[in-house]
Amino acid sequence: MTQSLVDRHDVELAALTAAGGRREFGELVRRHGSAVRGLLRRMGAQPSLADDIAQDAFLQAFERCSEFRGDGTFAAWVKRIAARLYIKRIAREARYVAEVGTEDVAPATDHAGRVDLDEALKALSEVERLCVSLCHGAGMAHPEIAAALNLPLGTVKSHVKRGLDKLRARLQPRPMGSTQHVG
Amino acid sequence: MSADEFDPDIERLFSRAPQLPDAALFTAQVEQRLRKGSRVRFLALGLAGLVGGVVAVRETLTVNIAAGDRVVGGDALAQGLRGASLSTQGAVQSGLDQLGLANLELGSMGGMQLFWIAAGALIAVAAAGVMKLSQDV
Repeated sequence: MTQSLVDRHDVELAALTAAGGRREFGELVRRHGSAVRGLLRRMGAQPSLADDIAQDAFLQAFERCSEFRGDGTFAAWVKRIAARLYIKRIAREARYVAEVGTEDVAPATDHAGRVDLDEALKALSEVERLCVSLCHGAGMAHPEIAAALNLPLGTVKSHVKRGLDKLRARLQPRPMGSTQHVG
Repeated sequence: MSADEFDPDIERLFSRAPQLPDAALFTAQVEQRLRKGSRVRFLALGLAGLVGGVVAVRETLTVNIAAGDRVVGGDALAQGLRGASLSTQGAVQSGLDQLGLANLELGSMGGMQLFWIAAGALIAVAAAGVMKLSQDV
């Protein structure tokens, strides 16, 4: 009896994809599409651009599926491909080198006064957001990020640290009825 | 990631994929692009193979006829071969005519020209074949 695609492990699906299985790859896209798109949005990409890059990343993953050895998760592998594609895109536009100021706007909260990650990330500058997302979303180490962004290692570390500090502050539950706009 | 970079809470938040309402549409778009890419590759390979094959057949026939004339001219076997070659050549030319390439006078081209065209086409086919193989292996 053949095992249905839904029951198969990512590594197994990747191996079948490497052998030419498009249906198996479709299942991998279904499983991890939102995670990859979400990461790109968290890195600062507009939704339409994030979707375009995510599609390119999956197509590249399909072509290179035989390279996936299952050392890490399939999602992490595709996320790194997507992150690198996004870095290439913004490097072409030379965007991340310019520090973009952020308005100090308190993020929207849920009923318990909690802030979700996507809202909290809006408090970070573009480059902080990028560095934190690459580090914690794409699983890249600081030296890797520094090389990819062509920034000094110390600068990347500062961006990650400042970004994390801002995130932690934003992710603290806020008392209900607090003002939405600060400063 | 080193220990000082690790923040389990942030890590956990990042590992949660957002629920996107158009997830099914996204999957369909990727699958569509895969199908399209595969079709384009198939067509390109087919076209390169066809062009390479036609040019190679034509070139081979031309060379055979010339050799036949010089070395075994008048011989019955050579005559037979030349007849077969000419009929195949005619078939190739009529095939070209049907493809709307009636003005493509391969016979009027120089030997070196045809050689380079054939070599180029064969290299293209070989490159495409290697690319395909590298994906399959």
